[in-house]
Amino acid sequence: MDFIGFKKALFKEALAQGCEAAEAYYQRNESFSVNVLEGDIDQYEVNAKGGLNLRVRLGGRNGYAFTQKLEEPEKLVARAMDNARSIEAEDDHPMQGKCEYPALEKPERRAYSLGEQEKIDLALSLERAAKAVDPRVARTEFCTVESGRREIRISNTLGLDAFDEERTAVSVVMPITKEGEDMRNAYAFRIGEGIFDVDRCAREAVADSLALHGASPVGAGTYRALIRNSAMAAMLEAFSPMFSGDNAQKGLTLFKDKLGERIADEKITIVDDPFHPDYARAFDAEGVPSVTTTVVENGVLRSFLHNLKTAGKAGVPSTSNGGRAGADASVSVMPSVFYIRPGQKSDDALMRELGNGLFITEMDGMHAGLDPVSGEFSLIAKGMLVENGKPVRPVDQITVGGSFTKLLGGVLAVGGSLYFNPPRGGGAIGSPAILVDGLVVSGR
Amino acid sequence: MIERRIVENVLGAALATGGDYSELFAEDTEKNVVVMVDGKVEDASYRRVFGAGVRVLLGARCIYAYTSGQDEKALMETAKAAAAALKGVKEHETRAFNALRKGDYAPETPYGAVGNAERIALIRRASQAAKAYSDEITQVVARFMDVDQRVTVANSLGVWAEDRRPRGRVAIQAVAMKDGDAQTGYKAPGRGEGFEQFRHYDMEALGAAAAKQAVTMLHAPQCPAAGAVPVVIDGGFGGVILHEACVHSLEATSVAKGNSEFCGKLGQVVASPVVTAVDDGTLPGEWGSIRFDDEGTPSQRNVLIENGVLKSYLFDYRDTRLMEHPLTGSSRRESYEFAPTSRMTNTFFAPGTDDDEEMIRTMGTGLYAASMGGGSVNPLTGEFNFAVDEAYWVKDGRIFCPVRGATLIGKGADVLKKIDRVGKHMWMAPGMCGSLSGSVPTNVGQPRVRVTDIVVGGKGGML
Repeated sequence: MDFIGFKKALFKEALAQGCEAAEAYYQRNESFSVNVLEGDIDQYEVNAKGGLNLRVRLGGRNGYAFTQKLEEPEKLVARAMDNARSIEAEDDHPMQGKCEYPALEKPERRAYSLGEQEKIDLALSLERAAKAVDPRVARTEFCTVESGRREIRISNTLGLDAFDEERTAVSVVMPITKEGEDMRNAYAFRIGEGIFDVDRCAREAVADSLALHGASPVGAGTYRALIRNSAMAAMLEAFSPMFSGDNAQKGLTLFKDKLGERIADEKITIVDDPFHPDYARAFDAEGVPSVTTTVVENGVLRSFLHNLKTAGKAGVPSTSNGGRAGADASVSVMPSVFYIRPGQKSDDALMRELGNGLFITEMDGMHAGLDPVSGEFSLIAKGMLVENGKPVRPVDQITVGGSFTKLLGGVLAVGGSLYFNPPRGGGAIGSPAILVDGLVVSGR
Repeated sequence: MIERRIVENVLGAALATGGDYSELFAEDTEKNVVVMVDGKVEDASYRRVFGAGVRVLLGARCIYAYTSGQDEKALMETAKAAAAALKGVKEHETRAFNALRKGDYAPETPYGAVGNAERIALIRRASQAAKAYSDEITQVVARFMDVDQRVTVANSLGVWAEDRRPRGRVAIQAVAMKDGDAQTGYKAPGRGEGFEQFRHYDMEALGAAAAKQAVTMLHAPQCPAAGAVPVVIDGGFGGVILHEACVHSLEATSVAKGNSEFCGKLGQVVASPVVTAVDDGTLPGEWGSIRFDDEGTPSQRNVLIENGVLKSYLFDYRDTRLMEHPLTGSSRRESYEFAPTSRMTNTFFAPGTDDDEEMIRTMGTGLYAASMGGGSVNPLTGEFNFAVDEAYWVKDGRIFCPVRGATLIGKGADVLKKIDRVGKHMWMAPGMCGSLSGSVPTNVGQPRVRVTDIVVGGKGGML
C-alpha cells in the first residue's frame, strides 16, 4: 500500500475505534555514500527507506506504533491504541492543528546535484589531498563522501499537513599519520558546498593529527584552559538535555528551578535557531512552525526548550523543539540549531589571554564520563601545553574534570569563531572557543 | 519469509556486473518500549523494522544497498542499485543453497504474546523500591525494552541461514538530589531470551541497587585527580575494560587494514600471563549470543588471548579478503541498514585463581571500581577511557570512602600487561556496543581483577 492510501486507512480506523485524533509521521530517506582507500573504492552504499509512525490520541493520551511494512492498518491502530491506554501520566499532549509555515529559502546547491561518479572523484581527490599534505600521512582511516535526501510529511486528523524536503552533502576524512612507531589520527569534515573545499579540509585533518605526535601527559593540578570550539561544541551537545523543558519538569536537570536566574557568566548567550541557513527548517517534528529561542541571555536562563506537551504544562508557547530521535521514535524535546553565540576574540588573542595553561583540542568519552543530570564531567582529553601564550608541546593521556555549571559561570573569554559539530537528525550544536579557569587535570 | 526463487533472482542480479559474491540479509523485527517516570507510565511505543540489504563484493571492495520492504520489485531494484556500482560483466554464478542453517530458537514466552500490563507491572516494582529506598531519591526513570529480531541471510556461495533473536532488558535510573547537587544510579540487566527470563528477576532489589548507588555517590567526595595508582575492578560490567581497551582493537575492522596496535602480534605475548580473554557467541540465552552471525556463519567460542598470548582476532568474511584469518562467527550489524562487519558477542576475562579480598588488602592506596559505566576507545592508538559509576578510595588496603566522578584512562596494550590478579568468579552484564555496523547487543564480563597502575581522573584533592 502507498503512503496516502495507508494513511487514509489508518485515520479511518482510528476514528472508528474511538480515537479523538490520529497523526501520521512519514519519513523517506535516500542516501549515497562512498569510502575510498588507496585510490580505489573501499565501500559504496546506496539506500532507500521509508517508515510511518502513527500517533493516536485516546482519552487525552498519546500512543505510538511505527512500521516499515505498510500493510494491515487495523493492527497498527490497535497497537497504538493499546499503547495509549497504557499511559498513566496525566499531562495533556495536544497535536498541532492546521497552520501556516514561514517560507524558507532553500537555494539549489551544486553539492546536492552531483552525479555518482563526481562524488567518487571528490572522495578520491580528498584522499590524494590528505596524502599530499605531509610525508608522515601513512593512509586514511576513512575518506568518505555522502549525500542524502530526506522527505518528511506530517498529517493528522486535525487538518495538519506539513511537508519538508531536506538535502545533505557531507565529506569527511581521517588521516593516519606516523612518526616512527607513533601513530595518530584526527578527522575533519565539510557540509553542503563546503565539500568542494578539499585542500583545506585535508590540511585541517592532517595538521590536527600531526600536532599529536610526541604528546605526553602533564602533572595533576588545576589549570587555566582554552577549550577549542569543536571540543566545546561536543560538550554543549552532551549537556544540551539540561536545557530541555521535559527534563526540567521531571527533575532531571539542575536548572529546573532556575528560570530568570543567572546560570552562566554574562558573556554567555545560548540560542536555538531553526532558521540557521545551514539547517533551516519550517517546522519541528510535531509540525509546530519554527521560532528562534534565546535560552540563555547574558548568563540568565530565559527559556527551556519545549514541545507542545511540555509547553502546555509550563503555560508557555512551544519553542518548536518537538523532536524525534528517528522516524520510529516518540515525540520528545530536542534542540534544533543550538549554539553559544560567538564573541569577538581571535584565536591568537585567546591564546595570549590564556598565557600559561592548557589548550584543550579534544575531549572524549562524553556518553559515559559526563552526567547531564548533575552537570558533572570527567573526560579524557588532548591538547597543547601553553606557556606565555605560545603552544610548547602536545599533551595526551590526561583527564579533565569539572562541573558544567561552574564552567559556564567562570568563563573568562568567548572566541569569535563558531564551529558546528557534524549534524545529527536534522539539527546541529555549535560553540566558539571559551577560556576558563579551574579545570581539574589528572595525568602523570 | 522470502521465497527462495526471489532470493535466487536477487543474488543473481547482484552479480550481473562482475561481483564475485552476493548476499541478501532480510529482517523482520518487532520492538516495544515502555517508559515509566516518577511511578507513572509516560511513553509506550511499538516499532516494526522490515527491510533487506544486498551486499556485493569484488575482492575486498564492498557494495551495499538496502531498502525498507521486502517485495520482489523493491529487492530486485536494490540488487540492481548495488550491481550498478561495478561496470564489468557477469563472471560468477550463484550456487545452489546447500548449506542450510536454521537457528530454530523459540522463546518460551515471545514478547508478541505479552501485554503492556505485564511489562508495566515489572518496572513498577523496581520503580517503587527505588523511590522507597531514601527520601533523597527525587526521581526514578524505569524502562522496559524488548526486541524480537527474525533474520534470513543467503549468499551466492550457497549459504541459507535463519535466526531468531529475542532479547529483553529493564533499565532503572534513580536520581538523588540535595542542595543543588545531583547524582544518578543505574542498573540495566537483560538476556537474549523471551519474557520468561523476568521470572528470575528480583525487581525490588534492582530498584534498591540503583537507588543505593545514587545516594552513595551523592554523599561521596570527588575522586582525587590521582594520576597512576593501583585499581581493582569488580566483576560483571567491569569487563568493559577488556571490551574497550583490547577487543575493539582485535576486530578485523581495525586489524585487516593495519589500523590497530595489535596488528601482527598473533602468537606474541600481549598481556600478563594471568590473562585469558574469550569472545563466545554460543552461550545459551546470553545478551550477546547469536546462533548464526549476520553472514550466516555459526557463532563460536573464540579464545582471543590465552595466558597472555594473542591467539585470534575477530573476523568477518569480507575482511578475510584483506587478511588471511579463519572466520570467527563475528559478523554483525544493527539492522538491514548496515553492512555487517566484525563485532563482539559475549566478551570476558576467563576466571583466574586469585582471592577477591586479598586483591584489595594488598593493593596499598588506590581505587576500587565497584561498578563501571561506559567507555570508548581509539583502536588505532589504543587510547581508552571509562567512567566509574560507583567507586571507592582505598587507603593502605582498606576501603576508605566512596568517591564520585572517577574516570580511568590509558592505552590498551599497557593495561593488559599490568593485570596482576584475576579472581575466581566470573559474571557478565549487558551493554549496547556502537561501531561501524551500528549498535549491537554485547555482554561484557570478568571476575574481579587488579591492575597495578592506571591513570585515575577525578576532580578532588587527595583524601
